[in-house]
Amino acid sequence: METQSFWEATTPQRPDYPTLEGSLQVDVAIVGGGITGITAAHQLAKAGKRVAVLEARRVGGGTTGWSTGNLYVPVGPYFHHIAKTRSQEVANTVAQARFAALDFIEQHTRKYSIDCHFARRPWYFFTQEEDMASTIEKEAEALQQAGMAAEFVTQVPGLRFDSVQRAVRMDGQARFHPLRYVLGLAKAVTQMGVQIYEHTTVVDLKEEEDHCLLTTTQGTVTCHQLILATHIPIGIHTVQTVAAPYRSYVVAMRLKSGAYPDAYFWHNDKTHHAITTHSTDSMVLDMLMIAGNHHKTGQASHQEYQHYFNELEAYARQHFDVASVEFRWSAQHYRSGDGVPYIGLTHKGSKRTYIATGFYADGLTYGTVAGIQLADTIAGEGSPWLETFDATRGTNLSTVGKFIKENANVAAQYLKDIPAGQVSHFADINPGEGRTIEVESEKLAVYRDEQNQLHVCSAVCTHMKCIVNWNNAEKTWDCPCHGSRFMTDGSVIEGPAILNLERKAIDPKTGHLLESGGKTSGEREINNPIT
Amino acid sequence: MNLIYTAIGFFALAALLGMYLLTFVLRGKETPKAIVFSHGPMAVVGLVLLIIYITKGGPNPWESLVLFVLAALGGLYMVSRDLTGRPIPKALAVGHGLLAVAGFVLLLVFAFGE
Ligand SMILES: Cc1cc2nc3c(=O)[nH]c(=O)nc-3n(C[C@H](O)[C@H](O)[C@H](O)COP(=O)(O)OP(=O)(O)OC[C@H]3O[C@@H](n4cnc5c(N)ncnc54)[C@H](O)[C@@H]3O)c2cc1C
Ligand code: FES
Repeated sequence: METQSFWEATTPQRPDYPTLEGSLQVDVAIVGGGITGITAAHQLAKAGKRVAVLEARRVGGGTTGWSTGNLYVPVGPYFHHIAKTRSQEVANTVAQARFAALDFIEQHTRKYSIDCHFARRPWYFFTQEEDMASTIEKEAEALQQAGMAAEFVTQVPGLRFDSVQRAVRMDGQARFHPLRYVLGLAKAVTQMGVQIYEHTTVVDLKEEEDHCLLTTTQGTVTCHQLILATHIPIGIHTVQTVAAPYRSYVVAMRLKSGAYPDAYFWHNDKTHHAITTHSTDSMVLDMLMIAGNHHKTGQASHQEYQHYFNELEAYARQHFDVASVEFRWSAQHYRSGDGVPYIGLTHKGSKRTYIATGFYADGLTYGTVAGIQLADTIAGEGSPWLETFDATRGTNLSTVGKFIKENANVAAQYLKDIPAGQVSHFADINPGEGRTIEVESEKLAVYRDEQNQLHVCSAVCTHMKCIVNWNNAEKTWDCPCHGSRFMTDGSVIEGPAILNLERKAIDPKTGHLLESGGKTSGEREINNPIT
Repeated sequence: MNLIYTAIGFFALAALLGMYLLTFVLRGKETPKAIVFSHGPMAVVGLVLLIIYITKGGPNPWESLVLFVLAALGGLYMVSRDLTGRPIPKALAVGHGLLAVAGFVLLLVFAFGE
């Protein structure tokens, strides 16, 4: 089964925005048209700024349109963990910021009549294992300390799970259709004067003393301030040493009974599963989604990716009366060292370049937090969240272990780039398969399509030169170092890499590399990265 | 003197890997990063051993130390260029190697000269 996002498949009209050609001058340029970029654009336009959004593919077509559409105050790395790595005050601020972001989304959905199925509903966090009960208890207490109405319950309605050991419930969380929401907000911001450009990849950016200069595939933008709302900042940034890329998986199914529970559930036993329900075209729930199975990007166990989907499906079949699997997809998240995102100026010396990353898989809410905070900062209104999310804070004593672990992992990926031992030939690659092979001292990423056609690129990632790995579930090249991902034609899908993998040409008769294979560029050929 | 002999061992291994890397740079090919990240640390271990030896006093191979430090700076600069996608100037790679070889020869003379 091909991977395809439910949100992409259930978004009826998608307006086309033009490609930027020529030069442009604005107060603020925003790179990336996901929930972070569009929220920031909205707030900046409201503050009277001239704003342009530059999106490499389509608005909402990044992780926002490949998420699971849940809005909630709790966070994947847990508030009790944040209280430990930072402080209870920081945990409180994070909770308040997320609470405010949820309200923001509800208000703007109403204000602009965005048909995105927004509905409030509870969140449950439960376990069937004795060992995990204390985690649930600690988290409920941390939420209560942050002023959130989390309460212990004995039952988890809507699910048929035996012997629940501990469960907590929090009302007032929500669900929505993230892609419809972002497209609705994008429509509103264009009416406020924001210029949105699609198929406009930023291939170079410079911060100068009194302005920033962006180069896109067909134009340039001069601006006073620049927001990199690209999920992880593009290019090389120190934050990439503390924000690690992970992939996780989603399977969407229809149920025979039609009894879709109206809540968002975290089931934490030895493994974590998120259970949610959504609607295709109305407010009626008609789709069950199970999400989970994280692993570091480009580093699946045994380099086999299909089993992550299969496990989620098996879990669903064990607990629900599954009628059919309708969609399955995977997406990326970035984990911060201390569990709190990095939102603000990119480094201590920077005056004009802002970033927002390290959201874990909680970034529909955090992206909204980031959009509000960055716009407030740029508009000079100040933000009570500034210090909590300071993007230049780096690592501290309680997170140094994680910092070392993640960076040792990156170093280990570089050490796999040995010149010997990969002696496969083009002929060894089966249709539908991709492999990295070495030809004439060059590492190549080679994919043979179902029509037996070879697609050959350099296997050297254009970000910082790790060797990419084949992802057999999504048919992509994934970099195990900082999470850049590329299509089989070499074009960037996501991650910090700006330039595409260099295309290579081979002589079909001799199997030798030809002198010129094609230049590397930042142009992203098509909208939908996966299918 | 044992420290010096061990340092010579590390420098010799680093030199072998360095020569191998040079063949990639001179042909304009991507350097294999496993070799880059083995070559550098090996040379650094040699350098640290040399510094420990020198801090113990007595007659010292100062010339070698200076040449190795210069070579190390050149090496760091080349790695930073390599990882950030800028080409490595071939002359710099050759110069880095020559400095290190000169330092190595002087170290051999110091250790085995008498
Ligand atoms: C499986 C999964 C499920 C999730 N579910 C939820 C959930 O239920 N609730 C929740 O709160 N969070 C969830 N998240 C997290 C959330 O989806 C993301 O954190 C959030 O969408 C990030 O939004 P963003 O706008 O920052 O990034 P994106 O939506 O990724 O947008 C970044 C944009 O930048 C563009 N871009 C990149 N490079 C360039 C360039 N060079 N030039 C121009 N444009 C560029 C991209 O094309 C992209 O459109 C989930 C994450 C995963 C992985
Ligand atoms: S993403 Fe950094 S080297 Fe590939």
